[in-house]
Amino acid sequence: MRSSFMGLETARRGLFTQQSALYTTGHNVANANTPGYSRQRVNFQQTNAYPSIGMNSPALPGQIGTGVEGGSVQRIRETFLDVQYRTENNKVGYYGALAQSLEKMEGIMNEPSESGLQTALDQFWSALQDLTTQTENSGARDVVAARGQMVAETINYYYNTLTQVQNDIGNEVKIKVEEINALIEKIDALNRKIADVEPHGYVPNDLYDERDLLVDELSGFIHIKVTRVRPEHYGNASPLAEGLYNIEFVRKDGTSYPEPLNLVTASKETGLGPVNKLTLEPDLEAGLAPIEKIVIGGKEIEEVTSFSGELAGLIESFGYMEDKKVKGLFPEMIHKLNEMTKAFAKEFNHIHNGGYALELPSEEADGVTIEDGNYLYDFFIVTEENAAESIKVNPLIIGNSNYIKAAAARDGEKDTGSSGDNKNAHQLAAIFTKNFDAYEIFKDTTVPEELKGSLVSFYSGIIGKLGVQSQSAQKDLKNSITLAESVDMNRQSVSTVSLDEEMTNMIKYQQAYNSAARMITVMDEMLDRVVNGIGLGGR
Amino acid sequence: MRVTQSMLSNNMLRNLSNSYSRLAKLQDQIATQKKFTKPSDDPVTAMMGMTYRSNVNQIEQFSRNISEANNWVNTTDDALNHAVLVLQRVRELTVQASNGTYEGSQREAIAKEIEQLREQLISIGDTQIAGKYIFNGAKTNIRPSDTPDGDPEYHEGTIEIEVFNGIKIQVNTDASNLFGPLLSSTMEEDKPWNLTKLLDSLEQGTDIDSQLEKIDDVIDKFLAARSMIGARQNRIEMMEERLASHEIFAKEILSKNEDIDIEKVIVEFTTQESIHSAALSLGARIIQPTLVDFLR
Repeated sequence: MRSSFMGLETARRGLFTQQSALYTTGHNVANANTPGYSRQRVNFQQTNAYPSIGMNSPALPGQIGTGVEGGSVQRIRETFLDVQYRTENNKVGYYGALAQSLEKMEGIMNEPSESGLQTALDQFWSALQDLTTQTENSGARDVVAARGQMVAETINYYYNTLTQVQNDIGNEVKIKVEEINALIEKIDALNRKIADVEPHGYVPNDLYDERDLLVDELSGFIHIKVTRVRPEHYGNASPLAEGLYNIEFVRKDGTSYPEPLNLVTASKETGLGPVNKLTLEPDLEAGLAPIEKIVIGGKEIEEVTSFSGELAGLIESFGYMEDKKVKGLFPEMIHKLNEMTKAFAKEFNHIHNGGYALELPSEEADGVTIEDGNYLYDFFIVTEENAAESIKVNPLIIGNSNYIKAAAARDGEKDTGSSGDNKNAHQLAAIFTKNFDAYEIFKDTTVPEELKGSLVSFYSGIIGKLGVQSQSAQKDLKNSITLAESVDMNRQSVSTVSLDEEMTNMIKYQQAYNSAARMITVMDEMLDRVVNGIGLGGR
Repeated sequence: MRVTQSMLSNNMLRNLSNSYSRLAKLQDQIATQKKFTKPSDDPVTAMMGMTYRSNVNQIEQFSRNISEANNWVNTTDDALNHAVLVLQRVRELTVQASNGTYEGSQREAIAKEIEQLREQLISIGDTQIAGKYIFNGAKTNIRPSDTPDGDPEYHEGTIEIEVFNGIKIQVNTDASNLFGPLLSSTMEEDKPWNLTKLLDSLEQGTDIDSQLEKIDDVIDKFLAARSMIGARQNRIEMMEERLASHEIFAKEILSKNEDIDIEKVIVEFTTQESIHSAALSLGARIIQPTLVDFLR
């Protein structure tokens, strides 16, 4: 026989379970705007029916239900979408860093405009042309010196600003590494908290959300592979328990390095392992130098650009070593600028020294050498290293522009030329459109491989290439943002809180709660009849 | 697909910010009148733009060079024209003097005038443009007549001006065989004929007839030099015309390459503006009341 109080117990189970569903609804509503929050659901399930099967079980016409219980509280989330999102987010980080660096570079070069190097070169060329028509005019000569100085200063400015921005990026790399390590520590700490809770049979949904949010953030910086691990000896863990995260540092294409590099370690056999921090070599503490290696837990990766993410984009901009050569967006641009400046300045000096001036500086003046009675001095002063940083017009020439050697023929016994002889000035003006391989300074040596075409076409080529690079980085960024957003949209569709839905649920659970309460009243009335109303017949 | 409030508002925010960035780009274009502000906006156009700009600068420079070349040849032409007139006067006077009826004092007067005409030729030989002596070869800063012995000295040396990429035109005229021998005062037999020799024969009163032929030779030489200059003037004029049409073409292509079509951009801007305000008003409606507002 069943108990007289069975109905009370069934209704009580209803009350309690509806109440916990209401609490969860309240939790969802409260967290409607919490980043990374996934809505939660109480999984209702029926309790075992009465009577259960057994030798002494009472014979009833059928089994009678005994109510409901909240089997588990689960977060609604699609792991597959997380994986997709993190892959795209990684690209957003990578192309974002590249696009930003390239955009900065475009800002520095400032072409095409009235204030870039192209204009300075055009004006210098014009000044040399004016010198050919007004060879004896000291005004025209002063303009040549001043415009030459303008070219030099524009190149100096490019060099200095490029180096400065490169250093800023270097500092960003340093900070990014610290951020990454802080994230790894936090994820590990959450792993440990989860490992404390799960063996007791609980499902810590809110800790999962927090951990996933941190992993999302980490995926923007470096390329990672996340594996869920449920240790073998894991107490009384619920089947819904998500387990621990093992986070591996992987290549661009998602494959592992020969020796797997785990940032956060969790394994089936031993549970949680140590955290392996990411460090760079050189570590940029002592000063900024191209990155040579990435070190994770004592293991070194020499292919610095084999991974992807914001850190990779920053390193590719800042500079790294590959085959013992410095590579990277900024170092390469600075290198090209240096080579171009060096070749141009030296050729200019060479042609200039082949001519004759209107007046001669004193033999003792700085930088003047005399060879076979020829007074030799440079127009542009450059150093071998960092020509772009050091280029300037010889102060001697700025002081007296009659020292500019515009004449091609020697006039008389002194080492000067005629006032109207403009043939060397013609030669100087012709350098701008002369191909590098026709430069006289390269007659006996090989032309540096990067120098192609003439000064003018080489420089516009640099700008064109920069434009294309920057454009494609921006396009890739836009595409990956679109993809990441569409995946995130799907993720939100699954996981975010819908207030309408919660309100509907609230009504549903509230009504069910009220009905269960009414059931208790009915039970009460029934028992009241039995206790107080039976056995008093005939009174 | 399940759509929630936060998705709607996130979406709206993103769309609004996209709309703002399109507005900003159009506003940029209108303010700068250029299709692009940095190379990545349109790398090919930017690169071409740099070349076109250089071209325009070059053409402007060559136009400046051409006006300088014009200055040279026109001044030279003018000077030589004067020299020919002077020489013709010398010839006239010599014809008069060759007339046997002229007496010594009359011949003396003629000699005086020819003396003056010689001075005139010396000053023509000193012609300047902007402080440059145009008949002194490459030594433009030395006055040809400024010599210790008083005989003007004319140097050789060509001056060329570039009038187009690699095309150079000689602008000066070699005076060392025009004015040089004519104005020398040497009496040596083997040296070419000169005005001093003419003056001498006027003084002597002998051999005047034979001088005429020599004057004609000199005039011919000057005329030949002038026709050479005429040819140069033609060449320069042709280059000038070519450059002028080139300039229009180069500026047009530069403008086509990078200048915006203002009507088009303004229409686009207005369209974008209305799209934007539509998006805003839609946004206000998207943040909808929820079921909460209707539950009692």
